[in-house]
Amino acid sequence: MKHFAADLHIHTALSPCAADEMTPGAIVHAARDAGLDMIAICDHNTAGNAEAVQQAARDDLAVIAGIEITTVEEVHVLGLFPDADAAAAAGDAVRQTLPSANGSHKDFGHQWLMDPEGRVLGTEAKMLSVASGFALSDAVRLIRQHGGLAVASHIGRPAFSVLSQLGMLPKNTRFDAIEISATGLRAGRQAEFAALGLPMVTSSDSHFLADVGCRRTMLESLLATFDELSLAFKGVDRRRCCLA
Amino acid sequence: MNVKQLAEELGIDSLTPEVVVDESRQVPGGYTSDLLSDVLAHAPHDGVLVTVQIHLNVVAVAAHAGLAGVIFAMGLRPDEATRQKAVEEGIALYATQEPAFDIVGRLYALGLRGTQA
Repeated sequence: MKHFAADLHIHTALSPCAADEMTPGAIVHAARDAGLDMIAICDHNTAGNAEAVQQAARDDLAVIAGIEITTVEEVHVLGLFPDADAAAAAGDAVRQTLPSANGSHKDFGHQWLMDPEGRVLGTEAKMLSVASGFALSDAVRLIRQHGGLAVASHIGRPAFSVLSQLGMLPKNTRFDAIEISATGLRAGRQAEFAALGLPMVTSSDSHFLADVGCRRTMLESLLATFDELSLAFKGVDRRRCCLA
Repeated sequence: MNVKQLAEELGIDSLTPEVVVDESRQVPGGYTSDLLSDVLAHAPHDGVLVTVQIHLNVVAVAAHAGLAGVIFAMGLRPDEATRQKAVEEGIALYATQEPAFDIVGRLYALGLRGTQA
């Protein structure tokens, strides 16, 4: 079994709240500098830049295509997908439920679609910073339909987490893992969240380059791949994830 | 007033006619919030909640907080699974087209008060 350092929640310049410096190449460079073996690209309500980051990385960094869906209940949930096509398909379904951006970048920030070299290809025409039309249970179902893993975002944050919005984990929705937030870690709530009985990860939730890798998960598995991450969440053959 | 009398005064729709309201259970006050962690922490026992949050967990939280009823504002209605869960828990659910702001104002006029911060 090998150990891989993973940061499974990084935004690109496509997320309105992320800095313009979050270009594919810069993220890959920052991840390598931080000694990461695996990252996941999870922009708000879109997977539009995930493939560009995959193309910007070469073989020494695994890049998982993901999305961070905002549900009707304003819960954030991460979808991590086996490939960019699956992420894009889930992203398209989410995108259809979003309102038009309509000049919202003035208040919320730019939504840059980029190529692997960081050149701006255009701006996303839908407003990414608001709730999608997917209720939490439907968002998790969508993620699964496309072969993805559903991770409850930044548990322990006082906003936009499943516990802040819904008080407790819903019985009708099964997550593959939970992501403990910086606030949760600072408050020492690891044991409390571990008692929820789900694999626990932590991530940088980077919106700025300097934050890439500042929180990370140790993946114990054979390879740094989506399939191995999936097996680690299930605890197959001593694979596992732990807070690093 | 009990929750049934309050609903009659407000003229709002009952979603759970199967729930037998304990007519001696007086509603001391209420709370309004769409964050269920906030409701868990602050809603008064035997009170009513005014919300636009229609997720299934609203019933679990209402049961945990010991609420007598939940009023869904702005024409929002929970799904059947949520309604059934409320019936099982004996929590009365109501729906209104009015905004939460207006419903809370009318509850206040009927004498209900919020919890002290």
